[in-house]
Amino acid sequence: MDLNPIFFTAFASLAIAFALLVVLKKNPVASAFSLVLVFFCFAAMYAMLDAHLLAALQVLVYAGAIMVLFIFVIMLLAADVPSFDLGRSHVGLRIGSGAVSLVLLGLFVWAFRHTESFGAKGTLTAAKIESVGGNTQAISQLMFSDYLLPFELTSVLLLAGIVGAVAIAKRQNPRKEGSGS
Amino acid sequence: METANHLIRPEFLSLGADQIHALMPYFVAFAGCLVTLLLSVIRSVNPKWPVLLGTVATCVAASVLSIEQIREPSLSLFNGMMVSDSFSAFFNTVFLATAGMTALASFRYLDRERLQHTEYYVLLLFSALGMMLMTSALDLIVVFIALEIMSLAVYVLVGFRRADRRSNEAAMKYFILGSAASAVFLYGSALLYGATGSLNLREILAVLQSHPEGMSPIFTLGSWLVLLGFLFKVASVPFHMWMPDVYEGAPVPVTGFMTTGLKAAAFATLVRLFLALGFGKAVASTLQQHVHDILWVVAVLTMLVGNVVALTQTNLKRMLAYSSIAHTGYLLVGLLAGGGSDQGFSAVVMYLTVYAIMNLGAFVVLSVLAEQGDTGLNLHDLSGLARRRPWIAFALAVFLFSMAGIPPTAGFAAKYLVFYSAIQAGEIWLVVLGVLCSAISVYYYLRVMVYMYMKEPVGSAAPSRVSFWAASVVAAMVVLTLQVGILPARLVHAAKKAVTSL
Repeated sequence: MDLNPIFFTAFASLAIAFALLVVLKKNPVASAFSLVLVFFCFAAMYAMLDAHLLAALQVLVYAGAIMVLFIFVIMLLAADVPSFDLGRSHVGLRIGSGAVSLVLLGLFVWAFRHTESFGAKGTLTAAKIESVGGNTQAISQLMFSDYLLPFELTSVLLLAGIVGAVAIAKRQNPRKEGSGS
Repeated sequence: METANHLIRPEFLSLGADQIHALMPYFVAFAGCLVTLLLSVIRSVNPKWPVLLGTVATCVAASVLSIEQIREPSLSLFNGMMVSDSFSAFFNTVFLATAGMTALASFRYLDRERLQHTEYYVLLLFSALGMMLMTSALDLIVVFIALEIMSLAVYVLVGFRRADRRSNEAAMKYFILGSAASAVFLYGSALLYGATGSLNLREILAVLQSHPEGMSPIFTLGSWLVLLGFLFKVASVPFHMWMPDVYEGAPVPVTGFMTTGLKAAAFATLVRLFLALGFGKAVASTLQQHVHDILWVVAVLTMLVGNVVALTQTNLKRMLAYSSIAHTGYLLVGLLAGGGSDQGFSAVVMYLTVYAIMNLGAFVVLSVLAEQGDTGLNLHDLSGLARRRPWIAFALAVFLFSMAGIPPTAGFAAKYLVFYSAIQAGEIWLVVLGVLCSAISVYYYLRVMVYMYMKEPVGSAAPSRVSFWAASVVAAMVVLTLQVGILPARLVHAAKKAVTSL
């Protein structure tokens, strides 16, 4: 159950490195592939925490479905604009944003170092999950009882998202929507 | 597998009759979303009529159900993730009424701009549903999902004039910055979860109470981030950059919906968070001091910047955007004072309702006045409006007087209550600054009046007809503004009742 510090450090630093690449790379396809690798690192950490179902879902859903879609869209739509290069930003702006980021980083490091008491641990011990029948059973049982509301609301959110996407992407037909007909 | 090993608690698998009753407004609103969605694919007639009717009927039915629930005792739902009480019922009514009025007032506007009717109404309903869920949520996950339902629909509504570059730009800006704000909120919630082991507000409160000596730095950081996420959503000053552009680029009725519904939802959720986490009571006093100081600075900056920048605006839409920032400042004053006064947070609730009434009215007037492509809203376009269209000028004058806080309008009663509660809470300087800012604001509100009533008309183009529905919405809002201004007791009472139910 406990994280192996060597593997944790390895995957965490890989995740940070690839996350930086996502932001710094000017080519959107390279950014997207770096993001895939970030997701893989996360999946590895979930697996180390014995959350095998989450790890598998992370790979299947994020790294698999969503990112492939991302990359397809980038390649199909922006084939002739292969770059996020917005030109050189102002020097003052760069220094300013760099300084703010460093201050924030320092704040977080300080906060985590000075926190002694974290929240109470959950009640789902490894033995209890085993007795229910494994991760998959435990997650699905909780999702349909204790966490029913957020689970159902997520589908409302997706529906709203679909309607919105259709509204934006639909072909405009002024003759039909105009005041006349 | 033996039944003893299930994690499912059977009480969460079914809904009792009382719970179904409490959830009815939400069911009706969601059913309305689905039915209007189905109606919008009708081929035999132009679907815009049935969808508009469906939207308005949904809003009316759900708000009638909500009004009935204002008197009912509070009921915890879904494992304590959501609660149905007078507060949520009160705000559900406000949101649904706002959405319904916006739908009615948008009809002619959408025709004129040649925009798609059907998805517009469906998205309005989705957004209202998100607002309803957000104010009744007691769990940070549910708050987040509801916030996203509301925001996603509004992102699309902002960019609804797809052929217009400014609308596109506004939608893009709002989407990117809004997503960043959601991420900040989410990260804050994650830190709170790390610090307390729960996302449920009641359980977080229990942890807070069991640590009277103060919480860990992680908890402080988490609560800052959650607060920042909300301060962004309400466009208070260090985070207001997006707002004038978005308000100017969005279609006029959507801007009205954003300034009223969205702002009311964000503030109502903040009030619930504050009350649920015991703000103003003797819990974790250092953290409270932090939150108090942050809000104090933000409130003062918001009032100052909003009012001063509004002075220089010549476009009416942009001026109202900055004035909306200023009103956020007054609301923050009420939020700060809420813990320490007899009124509690009822002043904020009252102000939100009144602001929704007058601002919705003002934006409906603007959408009537606007010409193709949202032009014709500069100050000089209003010259002599009183002679060309006396009733419209009168309505706009009433709303602007109310926003300036001049009796006998609703704005005066609301502002009085907010500043009174701030004095009770001992925030004298805040009140002094607030009243000064309010005095500044009279200048730019009155300037519009000067243009309307004291200048010669320019360009006597035949005025476009005002749709019956927009006119009735404006008339209803004028009556409400004056009625609440002259007899505010009923609304104050309802607001108090809503807040004490928390």
